[in-house]
Amino acid sequence: MRKSIFTTAASMALLLSAGVAQAADTKAALIPGGPHPYFAAWEDAAAAAAEDFGVEAEYSVPPAWELSQQNEMIESLVAQGYNAFLVFPGDASGTNATLGELDDFEIPSATLAGCTEAPTPALFCLGTDVYNSAYLGTQELIDAMGGSGQIAHFTGFLVDPNTQLRIDAVEKAASEHDGVEVMQVIADIDAPEPADEKINAFLAAQGDEVDGIVTTAWVPAVVAATSLRNLGDQRIKMVGIDHDQVVLDAIKDGFVHGTMLQNPYGQGYIGVYAMDLVRSGCTMKDDAPWLTTAQTDRFIDSGTAFVGADQVDNYQDAMVQETDKIMADFKDTYMNCPN
Amino acid sequence: MSTKAIPGRAGPKGPTFAVLASNEVGLLLITVGAVIVFSYLAPGFDSPFNIYALTRVLAIDVVIGFSMMVVLVTGGLNLAVGAIGVSAVMVGGWAMQVAGLPIIVSALLALAFGAALGALNGILTVAMRVHSFVVTLATMSLFFGAMIVLTQAEAFNALPAEFVSLAKLKTWFFASSMLYASIVVGLLLWWLFHHTLIGRQILAAGANPSAARLSGVPVERTIVVCHGLSGALAAFAGLMLTARNGAALPSMAGQLGMDWLLPAFLAPVLGGTLLTGGTLSVAGTFLGAAMVTVLSNGLLQLQVGEFWVQAFLGVILLVAVVLDRLRAHVMAKRRVR
Amino acid sequence: MSATMHLLRTDWFGLLVAFAVGAVALGLAQPSFLSTYNLYVMLTAFSLSILIALSQMVIVAIGQLNLSVGAIGGLAAITFAGVMEVWSVPIPVAILIGLLVGVAGGTLNGVVTHVTGLNAFVVTLATLAIFKGTNIGITEAQPFYEIPDAVKSFGNARFGFFPYLLFVSGAIGIAVWVFMRRSVLGRQLLAVGGNLNAAKLSGIPVGRVVVAAHVLSGMLAAVAGMLAVARLQLGQPTIGDDWLIISFAAPVIGGAVLAGGHVSVAGTVLGVAIIMLINNALVLLNVDPYAVQLVLGALILAAVALSRFREPA
Repeated sequence: MRKSIFTTAASMALLLSAGVAQAADTKAALIPGGPHPYFAAWEDAAAAAAEDFGVEAEYSVPPAWELSQQNEMIESLVAQGYNAFLVFPGDASGTNATLGELDDFEIPSATLAGCTEAPTPALFCLGTDVYNSAYLGTQELIDAMGGSGQIAHFTGFLVDPNTQLRIDAVEKAASEHDGVEVMQVIADIDAPEPADEKINAFLAAQGDEVDGIVTTAWVPAVVAATSLRNLGDQRIKMVGIDHDQVVLDAIKDGFVHGTMLQNPYGQGYIGVYAMDLVRSGCTMKDDAPWLTTAQTDRFIDSGTAFVGADQVDNYQDAMVQETDKIMADFKDTYMNCPN
Repeated sequence: MSTKAIPGRAGPKGPTFAVLASNEVGLLLITVGAVIVFSYLAPGFDSPFNIYALTRVLAIDVVIGFSMMVVLVTGGLNLAVGAIGVSAVMVGGWAMQVAGLPIIVSALLALAFGAALGALNGILTVAMRVHSFVVTLATMSLFFGAMIVLTQAEAFNALPAEFVSLAKLKTWFFASSMLYASIVVGLLLWWLFHHTLIGRQILAAGANPSAARLSGVPVERTIVVCHGLSGALAAFAGLMLTARNGAALPSMAGQLGMDWLLPAFLAPVLGGTLLTGGTLSVAGTFLGAAMVTVLSNGLLQLQVGEFWVQAFLGVILLVAVVLDRLRAHVMAKRRVR
Repeated sequence: MSATMHLLRTDWFGLLVAFAVGAVALGLAQPSFLSTYNLYVMLTAFSLSILIALSQMVIVAIGQLNLSVGAIGGLAAITFAGVMEVWSVPIPVAILIGLLVGVAGGTLNGVVTHVTGLNAFVVTLATLAIFKGTNIGITEAQPFYEIPDAVKSFGNARFGFFPYLLFVSGAIGIAVWVFMRRSVLGRQLLAVGGNLNAAKLSGIPVGRVVVAAHVLSGMLAAVAGMLAVARLQLGQPTIGDDWLIISFAAPVIGGAVLAGGHVSVAGTVLGVAIIMLINNALVLLNVDPYAVQLVLGALILAAVALSRFREPA
């Protein structure tokens, strides 16, 4: 691992490991959608959880960002004897079939970071409510803009069903304020070169009219932050997403107002913990305080936090606290356990 | 099952028959060797579940390979296989889920739609007198864009259970039943190219269009037919993938359908189908897909350094094609003597 | 033949007219099209794309296709950024190392293609996986962030609307133009692409020519990758993922014959310009994001149809 920013979590885990019922045979796999910087924290989380809960936990990355490659990865891990799966769904509908097969083998699974569409075999979805995150981010942006103005929204591939949710959420937040309008949506810019070309073309054409930018995908956030820095423009407010160094630095230097942080470390860590409990005989409670999102009614919020200039230096603290909070009563809140 | 073009074909490579005849043998040897090695090294490789999972992937990739193969034989390329496949299954998914048509009717509709999009590629290629590569580069974006506009990227995920369960059937030796569907498709293609007039015309037109035209072959029609067939095969692969995924997904083949390009080209090309047109090998395409599927599955099983799988696969592929070439070269030399 | 007829028959004249008409129309529809900053943005994207398109064009010239252009560019980009971040290598040395990656990638493609007689399409399909896989293996999908300020500021420096990046790619573009037209090797490239057997018979060292074309292609891709690093101020592992379509579309719109033997540097450059114009228009005219792909496909098809229109039957 090139980066291990989340070392703080080890201490947190010590507190918990004493009281955990351990099933020695849990062999959990954490599978992202493909190679992507967002998921790097899962590797640390898997290692920490494996040690703390005495289980095996492996972070396995599909060779390319393709649904079929992810499916093949999951299948190969089943053949190797993995018996609990934590998956970022390669497709909100399409991943259900693979999880259903795991279910046929009585292998439990849950979705991390993003959810599958209900009805789904996933026991729960622990992640960011993409709709809510985009909505809250836009609200923060509108506040920063002083309550009125024109917004541009830069987002990822339209084939990803989450992209439509994000577009809707930004639209909704804007519609709740008089004098706020989404002037342009630019999508399909998950590759850096087209993102650079299109975002700058937008700034060239509308740079004087636009008052705020909200980005809801990793690459557009990075590229937009860089563009605003290059322009030296601090008039246009921007709210980004995730924790790329470029975005965080731009927040520090005042070119970006803030970012909607997610909690990948907590997702991985809590996910392994929950899978171990399930394998030791616990079942999910039907009457737990599940949240309902556009996709599922078995949602647990892993924490979405707005991080502005004040919090950016200690941004992981916010997430460690969030993780601690969920861990503290996770078992009692969400699970029925035999003993 | 190797197909040699019509006798008297003016090929650039001399004694092609010797090379082609043994191409399948080479693939078979590599694949069997890989199976033995992986079974020995990776305990999960020959487990029933893995055989099932592997044959299911193979079944789909074989048909994707066929879809490209039938255009390669004209000397053309079809970059839009993925875009056609996904457009067709969205039509099929709509027919099943929204219009409530019977499964068989919906599937036929999807196949017909795929064939129509493919035929459109063929017609544009003929009418504009440009390489199909150029036409399909544009229509890839066109078809995929239209699909996104019409579906707003929403999946059809309430398909009839009977349709989805088609993908779950297992048969002899734990193999996925879909593999038999692919084999049947392969046999039909073999029959088409060996035992029908249009098949022979396609091969003749692919090998040497002007000579074929002189001998009365409707070259333009064969090009349209091949593209139409390619579209139908892409739709068939898409339907199998849809059954496997349990939903008709706009993201099934990735952005612009480009995720399909690698399996589409690898299988026929490894199988000895020449890009210059006029020859094809149905069995070779099948075995080419088998080799790639076995190698990539085996690499995943071995858990070679997690981020290095793709690089390893690339190296193995390169070594495999070079070795195969070497073997063919040696064999051809012996035969000449 | 009159001068007008001669102009009409060149690869580039029709494209120039199409580009001019498009630019005027867009300028009328959206005045900010002609703003200094927008021209700069377009020229920046143009600088990168010319190199990508030329990298493919030299391979099309010998009648082959190179699927690994983007993968070589991406690998050179992260190597360039990586050696500067991890080993603090001085910039000129890092550029050399990046170029070497391009040369090595191109050499592998060329040598394997020539020695085995396999179609380059097949070879580069495999090496695409090797280069991209090595990229992912090295970076684990994490970008390299520590790019020296000199590189960053070069990527964003401009005279008015003229980006510094265009000095590099403009000079390279002219060099490639001279190379294809005037140099012996350039003409040998076209001869090999036009008629392999005739080229062999006339004593052209086909193997050397094929390898040279692939090395040139690799170097052009590597330069494009490094310019992308300067532009993005980041060693993104995903650099190059999106190059395939433009690399083929531009030379083809520019009149290149895929079977080999005929390419046009001016046509290719105009092909890039037309695609840039289309992309810019899609943003400036605020086209519905869902319709972008559809419109792009239709316009590329139209551009190709137009460029064929003038051709005699």
